[in-house]
This record gives sequence, C-alpha cells and structure tokens, in this order.
Amino acid sequence: MANERPLGEVKILDFMWVMAGPAATRMLADYGATVVRIESPTRIDTARTLGPFRNNQPAPDASGLFNNCNAGKLGITLDLGNPSAKEVVADLVRWADVVTEAFSPKAMRAWGYDYEQLRRIKPDLIMLSTCLMGQTGPHAKIAGFGSMAAAISGFHNLTGWPDRAPSGPFGAYTDYIAPKFTAMAILAALEYRRRTGQGQYIDQSQAESSLHFLSPALLDYTANGRVDDRAGNTDPDFAPHGAYPCAGEDRWVAIVCRSDEDWRRLSELMKRAELGADARFATARERLKRRDELDSIVGAWTRGLEPREAEALVQSRGIAAYEVQNSAEAYTDPQLRYRGHFVELPHPVYGKTTVEGARAKLSRTPAEVRTAGPTLGQHNQFVFEKILGYNEERISELVAAGVLG
Amino acid sequence: MLSPYRVLDLTTDRGLLCGQVLGDMGADVIKIEPPGGSPARRLGPFFKDERNPNASLYWWAYNRNKRSVTLDIERDEGRELLRKLASGAHFFVESFNPGFLAERGLGYSHLSAINPALIYVSITPFGQDGPKASYADSDLVILAAGGPLILTGDEDRPPVRCTVPQAYAHASADAAVGALVAHHERVRSGLGQQVDVAAQQSVAMATQSGILGAAVGAADSHRMAGGIKAGPLEIPLVWPARDGYVSLLFLFGSALGVFTRKLMQYLCEQKLCDEATRDKDWIGYGELLATGKEPLAEFNRVKGIVRAFTRSHTKAELLQLALERGFLIAPITTTAEVVDSPQLAAREYWQPVEHPELGRAFRYPGAFAKFSASPLRYRRRPPLVGEHNREIYGGELGIGDGQLAALARKGII
Repeated sequence: MANERPLGEVKILDFMWVMAGPAATRMLADYGATVVRIESPTRIDTARTLGPFRNNQPAPDASGLFNNCNAGKLGITLDLGNPSAKEVVADLVRWADVVTEAFSPKAMRAWGYDYEQLRRIKPDLIMLSTCLMGQTGPHAKIAGFGSMAAAISGFHNLTGWPDRAPSGPFGAYTDYIAPKFTAMAILAALEYRRRTGQGQYIDQSQAESSLHFLSPALLDYTANGRVDDRAGNTDPDFAPHGAYPCAGEDRWVAIVCRSDEDWRRLSELMKRAELGADARFATARERLKRRDELDSIVGAWTRGLEPREAEALVQSRGIAAYEVQNSAEAYTDPQLRYRGHFVELPHPVYGKTTVEGARAKLSRTPAEVRTAGPTLGQHNQFVFEKILGYNEERISELVAAGVLG
Repeated sequence: MLSPYRVLDLTTDRGLLCGQVLGDMGADVIKIEPPGGSPARRLGPFFKDERNPNASLYWWAYNRNKRSVTLDIERDEGRELLRKLASGAHFFVESFNPGFLAERGLGYSHLSAINPALIYVSITPFGQDGPKASYADSDLVILAAGGPLILTGDEDRPPVRCTVPQAYAHASADAAVGALVAHHERVRSGLGQQVDVAAQQSVAMATQSGILGAAVGAADSHRMAGGIKAGPLEIPLVWPARDGYVSLLFLFGSALGVFTRKLMQYLCEQKLCDEATRDKDWIGYGELLATGKEPLAEFNRVKGIVRAFTRSHTKAELLQLALERGFLIAPITTTAEVVDSPQLAAREYWQPVEHPELGRAFRYPGAFAKFSASPLRYRRRPPLVGEHNREIYGGELGIGDGQLAALARKGII
C-alpha cells in the first residue's frame, strides 16, 4: 500500500458493477487508490458478458470491457445475501474511506448496507450511490443500462438523420459520461472530509450528470422554447463539415472547414481553386446554404484516397481532419501510440491483455496502470489476510459458510 | 467542498465545463477573457436569437458560478496582471494549442516558478505532445480520431455525431478529475504539477472499450441505424412506439437474457406470441444464433413480434410497463420532454438562475449529484464580459481606479 502515489492512502470498498460505476473507481485506481471490488459469486457482472472478447471467444475473464473498467483493483467474491457476509462487510467498511455502489435503488437497504446502517459502523464514511435515474422519484426503479438513460435523457433524439428514426449514440452513452462525475464527486467529498471531518452520502443519477453534456440544447428550450432535433453531421457555423468516403469499404475521413480561408485552401488542395473564388461558396453563410453540394464535391475528391492519406493532406493545409478510426486504425495511430493510450498488462488467464491508459497525464506523479481486471475472487486471500488481518481459521470458516461462493 | 480554492479559467469552448464543475463544487472561479469577450460567446444557440456576447446559450451552459475579468495576454501589462492573479491561485485551467502560452511566458514552467503549488491544467485536442499534437481540430474530427464516430449512425450513411458538441465536454470532465487528483497529492507534498488532457483520448471512452478490439483480437462492431451489428446479427436498440420511439434492450446471455425472458413471458400472456416462442432459450440465444442452430429468419420473426408490441403502445405506456414489470425499455425523449420530466421534477433537478439584467430567471440543468453534507449550489449566473474587473482588479489586487481606467483605455482589460 504505497503512499507515494497521488491517491496512495485512499481506500475504496466498491460494490459497483457493469460499466458506469466500475469505470469511475478505475480512474481512482490509476492514481493509486486501493479499490476492493466485491463481486457476487453467483450473479455474473454483466460487463464480463460483453465484448470485446479476447480472440472473439466469450468468457468471463476474456472481456476487454471488464478488464478495462477494473484494471488496478483487488477482486473478492462475497455472497451478500449470506448472513455471515455481514461481519466481513462491516470490517471492510471500517477499513474504507469510501463505499460505492451501483445497484438499482433499495438493493443496499435490503441487505442492510444503506448509508444509515453503514455510518453507524463508520461515522465519517463517504458513500456514493450511482444508478440510472437516482435514488428517488417515480422513475427511480427503471431497471437498465446506459443506453436507456441516454434515450430518456435526450441523447438519442439528437443523434442521427432528420429524415429517419434516431440512430442514437453508440452503446450505453451515459456510462461514458457519468463515471467522470462520480470520480470528481468522490475526490471533492474526500477533500471536504479532510477539512471538516465530515463524511456524507452522495446520490448520483447518471441521467442528471449526463444532461450537463446537453446543456446548450436544454437551455435553448428553457430560454427560447425551441426543441432541437438531430441534424446529421451539419453544423450551425461550419461547412464543409462531415465524414467523407475514402477508398475501401466503410472507410471515412472527417473534414471540417472552420473558416472561409480553410475552404479556399481545401479548394486548392482538391485542385478546384475556382471553387475557392466562387462567390457562391466564399462565405460560411453561402456555404451553409449549399451543404449538400459541398459534401458531394469533397466526397468525390476523398473517394480516391486512403483515409490517413486524406487526413495528412488536409491537415498539411491547417484544416481539421482525421481518419474516422476503427479499433485497428486507432491501435496503429501514431498519436494514440505516443500518448500511451494502449497499455499491455499481464493477465492471470490469458497471459496478457490490453486496457486503455489513464486520461489525465500528471507531470510529476503520473498514473500507473499495473494490473488487469481481477479474475473472480482473485484477491480473496490477499484481502482477508493482509487487509482485514483474518487468520486461516477465520478464512476457513467463511469458506465453510459459503460466503465466498 | 472546494471553497478555499481559486481557479483561473483561461479556456475557450474546449475547456469551459472543467472550471464550471469546480465552481459547482464551491471553488472561486475567475474566467479570464480577452477584451471584448471569449470566442466561446460567439457560439450559438443565442437567447432570442440575438447574436451578442452576453446572449450565447453555449456560454450560459458552461460558465455559471464564475466571475469574469478581461485581460489581453498579447500585451506585457496583461501578462503582468495574469502573473499576479496566478501567484495567488490554486488551479490554472487553459485550452490553448500546445506551446501557445509558453511562447508568451505563461507556460507551466513560468507560472510554477512564481507559484510552485499551482496545478496547471491543459486541455487540448490531441495532447501537449506527439506527432499530431498540432493538428487542427473540431468536435467531429476528435470524435473521428478517438473512435466513437465510426460506431455511430446508420449502416448506409456516413458515421454521424450528436448535434450538441460532445468531445470537449468529455475532455473537460476528465480534466476536472485530473485536477482534483493533483490537488489531493498537493495536500501532502505542497507541490503543484501540470495536468495534460487530450480530447482524443477522452472520447475513446465512448467506444465502450471497443477501441481495444484490435489489441485483444476481437472483431469490431458496426454501426447500424438504432442498434448494433455484430457479424450477420442485427440487434435493434431503437424501436417504434405509437408516438415516437423507445429504447428497448432485446439481448441475450446470462445477465441480459433474463430480461428478454421476462418480456417474452409477458408477450405470451398478451397472446402476442405462442408458448414455443416464449420458451426459447433466451440466455443461450446468442450462441444458438451464432452457431446457426436458430436461423436468422426465425430471429427476424421474433423481432417482428416485439416490434408489433412496441408499435401498439405510446412511449408513456411502455415506460409504465417497464417500471411495473422490470422490462428494459426507456422512451426516446425530446429536449422538451426531458425538461418536463416528472422524474426530474420530483427530484427538483432544474435550478432557476436569475439573470437580473434580463429581468427573469431561466431553468438550468441542476446539480450533477446530490451531496448530503455539502450540496452543490448555483451562486452566480454566467458573467457578462468583464463584469468583475473592478471587483477583482480593484478590490483584490488593489489597483486604483485611475490605473484601471488607463488599462481599459489601452485595451489591456
């Protein structure tokens, strides 16, 4: 339990599962927090059933998603419904600074592990609950996943083509936003406790956190009464603005002209300098009126190019562009490489796995991602013996009582 | 929670959310804008569609709980003022292109020499360094670079983005986390550091770890109108309702198949499908499809049954059913329906923020989480351009009225 890492002395008892919750405590583990992640020995973490799987072979420890969301954590199994688990949880709560959970509301209460109960064990405890809609309200009990929170929060309706049903953002979109707010909430609450000695309970609705990413459109309604809609790849200020087809199947380059000067330079690059001089395209206002025409012109030029070639050519003129990268392209992207975005780690079952690196680079005390997501119960012995100080006899009792599954 | 700390916010639209959330958590945030106002004030939509720097709703969205001063960092006297402010600040948040501030003597090394405890947060499109660090950027281009774009949209059309820019919101939220981690460390060491966040890496989060596909030897998923395409399997996530659309998870496996089984039981009760359909192995159904034991045509027939069910109900009816029976269904809502949501009303989510200069209050998205001991408060509406010049330069830096007037005359503030 090295203390020199930025969060080296922070101890988190993590009841969270699936994606939004575990992704948050993963961020804290990157900077040295000790995170003890509890898993049910019987009810598998949904994240373990979701890809990308190592070599396309689904298996509980082969999930890239699970490994990515749980890297750096200690994993133990506990059957929370077993009465003998109670004492173990109490000991872990005494050890922890922070308890986190991501069940649907009431589950922790049913086990007797809600904040009111746990603070009796540890008065200055910080506890955070995160779920789709929050702990209270008529929709609190919506069962489900981030794709549903994204739908009910308005993201779906704003993503896609106006002449079609919404495409929606990819996957469980609010699960990609909420963890950032979870992590900052925990860090701020720790700071508050440091200064005041006071712990507290934090009720996070993943929908409510995520709505901050739609604030401009929400204010457009509350201030102007206007209901925004999806609009394909059009932008209110910029044209051309889109993903353009390149050579090969489903390969694209995103190009955005942010100024009239950008457009003139792009015209020259496309060897269509006459368009740069054409009054019909000279200003953003004129170009915005003729978006479709511009999209065909730019698309006709990119179609013969490799995406990365198009990206390099367009960027060489100072115009925003990037290959629309799939995972293979991202994996070889020199910029992501340089930034250390892909971190290879040893894995107890598969020899190795790869996870994403930490997002914030701290110049003096950088993040370190040291271990893959734990296999089921991988750290039972370590946690019970080294963290809780249980002797062999006590551990055998727990095994015999079926607490560990 | 962060009330003892001061944040200097020099960001453009690339980083505004970072300072805002620090402000929501109590920090004293000073927005530093060029004379005439931040370029982010030129971003729409605008209140009453009036294009003026104090009416940008984009600005409103990401600048509450901040005070504003103007300052020209292109001039020596402006830089001197900034150094004075930085010597007493705890966090410095900026989003200029890499090297821009360093060339003006305001890089991390310069400011840490004045204030070694300063946490200097830099938010950029691609990071402070690397072969593409100086690339030109935009929201769409970052979404392309970081992986979510290729996964989003309809299979027969180009990849598509959300109409509301997302890339820098992701980066700014990551930056706030990084700033607080650095702060935590500073409590022990007394030292600051630079926190470097690349939006490209931040948005990779929105691939649901799909960006790891090639690294772990897995096939990528492909975008599909309102759903997921994995090999020949097309799994819709968006389903028609009588009055719009709903999101419904019709998925399989040990975790999600349970919900599908529950749904099919209900459809059978409602005489929408026969018992043989109800009793399919919904846990192992993915495997059955993958091995061809269940023909795709049969899967398509079942999807047709589910579609007929959703289409015959309104969004509200389907939500009610989901709540009563634990189905994985949620309505696809417009911004109006979000703002008028009974759930958000019951939780008193929307916060009225008074804009005295306009003589009215507006409802803002509320606290990102409910803290029992230290609730988030909206103390200030987004500032007008340079609204706090006198308060901060005069009241706090002790610059006299005459000197302030001279600075204003010279266009420094």
